Parts: sequence; C-alpha cells; structure tokens
Amino acid sequence: MLFNAFSNPRLGKWIIPGAGLVWFLGCFLLYQNYGLEMETSLVDAFFFASIFVIGVLILDQVFGLFSPKGSNLWLIFLVPITLSYLLVYGHRMLLRWWFDGDEDYLEFLDSTTFLRLSVLVLAEQMISFLALAVSKLERQEELNKREAQMLQLSKDAELAQLRQQLQPHFLFNSLNSINALVVSQPQKAREMVLLLSDFLRGTIRKDSQAWTSLEEELNYLKMYLQIEQVRFGHRLMVDFQVQEDKDGVKLPQLLIQPLVENAIKHGLYGMTGEVKIVVTGKREGNYFTLEVKNPYDPESAPAEGTGFGLSSVARRLFLLFGRTDLLESGTQGSQFKVKLKIPQFQ
Amino acid sequence: MIRTIIIDDEPLAAGIVQEFLAGFPQFHVLELCQDGFQGMKAIQQHKPDLIFLDVQMPKISGFEMLELLDEPPAVIFTTAFDQYALKAFDAKAMDYLLKPFSQARFKQAIDRFLENWGKESREEMPESELTQLAEKTSRLVVRVKNDIKIIPVAEVNYFEAEDDYVTIHTAGGKYLKKLTMKTLEESLDNGKFARVHRSFIINLNRITGIEPYERDTYLVKLGSGVQIPVSKTGYARLRQVLGL
Repeated sequence: MLFNAFSNPRLGKWIIPGAGLVWFLGCFLLYQNYGLEMETSLVDAFFFASIFVIGVLILDQVFGLFSPKGSNLWLIFLVPITLSYLLVYGHRMLLRWWFDGDEDYLEFLDSTTFLRLSVLVLAEQMISFLALAVSKLERQEELNKREAQMLQLSKDAELAQLRQQLQPHFLFNSLNSINALVVSQPQKAREMVLLLSDFLRGTIRKDSQAWTSLEEELNYLKMYLQIEQVRFGHRLMVDFQVQEDKDGVKLPQLLIQPLVENAIKHGLYGMTGEVKIVVTGKREGNYFTLEVKNPYDPESAPAEGTGFGLSSVARRLFLLFGRTDLLESGTQGSQFKVKLKIPQFQ
Repeated sequence: MIRTIIIDDEPLAAGIVQEFLAGFPQFHVLELCQDGFQGMKAIQQHKPDLIFLDVQMPKISGFEMLELLDEPPAVIFTTAFDQYALKAFDAKAMDYLLKPFSQARFKQAIDRFLENWGKESREEMPESELTQLAEKTSRLVVRVKNDIKIIPVAEVNYFEAEDDYVTIHTAGGKYLKKLTMKTLEESLDNGKFARVHRSFIINLNRITGIEPYERDTYLVKLGSGVQIPVSKTGYARLRQVLGL
C-alpha cells in the first residue's frame, strides 16, 4: 500500500497550496528586486507558482501510486527533471503570449529561463525525495499497527485456546475417563494422567507468536489425539499420514491443533458409529500443506460451535502472512475437508 | 429388580456408571447405548425403570432424545457440563451427576432414586420461569415411525396445535411432536416466529401477504398457497413484529 505524501488528508490539506503561496511571494519579491513592474511581477510570479503547484501535485500522484526502488531508482531523478523541463517550457510559452510585445520583459524571461529551470528541478527533486520518505514512513506505521494488532489477537487466541482446553467438554470428560480407568486399568489411567498433563502444559507454555518445528507440533497433536482416542475408544479412528520432515519445516505454534479439534467435534458429534479422521501433511514447493478430513452428515443441523474454530485459524493466518488464501475448506461428498498451506521461508 | 439402561457416547464413562452400579445388586443393566438413537430404541424395547443419560452425544442430545419418548423413564443425567442443570430440573430428572463424580455422590443419586421410585407420578413441578431465559432452540427433533428426524427451525413454515401435539409443517412434509404451544412459543426466536392464533405459530420469513377476513380477523398467506387465520390479538402481535 502506498500513500500520497502531500495530499494525504491526515497530513493536512494546506501543504501544497501553502508551498505555492510561499513560492509566489518569494518570486514576486525577487522580481521587484530586479526592478520589474508591479503588475508584471505579479503575473509572472503567479504563473511560476502555479506550475510549481502543478508539478508537486503530479509528483505526489506519481510517487503515491508507484514507489521506485532497485533498478527503477533512476526514475526518481528522471521524473522530476522531465516534468520540470515540460513545465518551464509551458510556462515560458504562456508568459510570451501574455506579454507579447513587451520586449524588455521578454528579454528578462529569456535570460532567466535556465535559472527558472534549475530552481524548479532542484525543488521538484527535493519534493520527490520527501514524498517517497513520507510514503515509506506511513507504510512503516501501518505495518507497526498491524503487528500490534496481531500481538493482541494472538494473545486472545492463546487465551481462547486455554479456555477451550479447560472447558468441561475436554478436561472433565478426560478426568472422568481417568476415574473410570483407575480401578479396571490402573496402568492406562496413569498413562492418561501423564498425557493430559503434558498436553495442558504444552498449551499453557506455548507462545502463539513463535514458530516451532513440525516434529514438535505433531507430537503435541498426537498427544491430543491419543487423549481423544482413550475417551471415545474405537469410535474414533485416526489415519495419520504426515511425511517425515527432512527440510526443517517450521510452523506457527498452536495453529494445526484447532483444525483437528474441529474435525473431531464435527465428526464425532455429527455422526453416529465409527468416525475416521484423516490427517495428511507434506511439503509442496515453498509450502507445507496439511489436510484434515472428517466424515460429516449434511442432514445433521450444525453442532453448537464454540466460535473458535476455523475462523480463528484463518484470522491468524491473515495476521501472520497477510493472506486469505491459505486456508480452504469445503465438503466433498460426505467428507468435510480443510486444507492449510503454511509458507516456508529459506 | 430395577432395570436400567446407560446411554453415553464415551465407553469409559458408561463403564464407570456400570462399575459403581455393580455395588447395588438390585440394579440390572440391560444395555449400554452409545447415542440417542440406540438409546431410544432400547428404551422402547425394554421399558427400563431408570436410565443414566449423557447430554452431549452424536446427532441428538440427551434432552432431545427424552422429548421423543411418550413415557420417559426416570433419568439421572451424567454430564461434564454444569449449565444444563436447570434444564435437567425442567425435564424432571432424578439427579444430575457432574463428571467426574465420586462413588459417594453416585450413591446419593441412587438413594434419591430409590426414595422416589414406585411413588406414582412424582409431584408435578411448576414449569420453571427460568426456561424462558434458556437459549432459543435452533432445531427440533421428531420421531418418524422408528426413525429420528432433525428439523432446523428455519425450515419450518408454520406450526399447528392439535390437542397435546403440534404439527410441524415444512416444505418437505409435516411432522407430529408432543409439545404444548406455550413451550414451543417460548423456545422460538420471537423475531422469526409469531403466534398469530391460538393454534398457529408462523415463520415470519414465509409471509407473502396479509388480508382482512371477517370482522377483526385476518388471513395471512404463506408461500405455496397456505392461508392461516389470524386472531385479533395475533394481528396486533404481527403488526408489532413486522413494524406495520
């Protein structure tokens, strides 16, 4: 996004007319000093100030829409020079026509043309630099704002995540499973206690700002799936097909678990009988893609959501990458599919 | 012998009820069910004296399953959610066990059941004022022969009272559900449905026209050519919600 440096309403709309006025007064006083007549000075100063203002407006528009950098950097010189030349040429024609017959003045005009050109080139060159600098600053400010917003949101996400885990739905039912296992299968009960502790610790410790390795995130996910499998027994089947990570894939923390949780919730509560969740992940070019599939019943009215599912993942992706095309979801027959793409940087 | 059925979608959760129940030899567990569909069939088949019922289960909740039964047995709810306690009270539950629960708390529930069991129809409790505060319902569950159908309320054209039942008219057909107009009216979003007559509640989105009928009464036309009588008070209510 680019910003018009001088016509940006936030920076005040008087900058350009103000500069024009100063230019006009300066020229007028100068001409008076050279001994030009009052009226002639006024007209000349007025035209000169006008072309100055027109030049600034054009530069403001040009560099507002387009910011030269790298191999295009020469444009920052060429544009103001060309513009100044054209403007001075036009302004000279105009004055010649206006003061047609006034030999003294025309002589003065001829002798000062080069001076006018150099002064204008200098001024417009300055303005171009300024316009670019201001536009850069504005962009920086916008970026900072986005970053601050992102920090806030990821905090919210973390809190919501925590609330989610500490919901009766998950925590109390898991505790209930442990309660049931204690007598019949004490070894399994102990296993479940450890799984649940590790999982909760992970949730609390994780920093949703930071990136982590694929392996760590998958371990966390597997832990979650193991707990759910203890709870639901054979009703929940998980097909986990994630390619072994050879390229050091990195992921934002706590991004993929909500997707799987969503799949389990809709799969298990929208269907009776056995439910199979398929998680596939692989590296595709510059992306790591993860797909989560769950069976779903289009007849079944939507289960009561917690509001913290796909939308929050999409939101976080937007804040992290500024893109909205990284998360796709849709139905495929009786399957609900979510596809997540995470850009990988070298 | 007290015949019971346990309905819970988590096998371990059903297991612990069974384990605790083993301490009371007069109870006999007939069946373990994993969802409301199985539960409803088992209840119709066995006519148990007591059921242990989870709330959040696949497709239909424990409450929705109870609504489908003509003669519901005594119920002890077992759930991890405490926000359903009031609703369970309305459903005339014997007790409400919050997971995870102790053996002592379980015994209390059983004692409470034994105390009340056999007493013909427990005291009819006044309908709780609090039900009105409960969330508006988004779907209705009905029994069609031996099958269960879930109807999103948005698909309903209108409701018609018939004695103790309500006929639900949708584009796909009509369904009968045991329900009073008053309870139904309270559970619906009054920005989307309006009771226009003692026997009719209509979906406001379906209205295609209103015309005068006899003195002080009107007819409201719904799509597909249905005409519903509107009473005097019904018309006043309709004018209010439609902002006429």
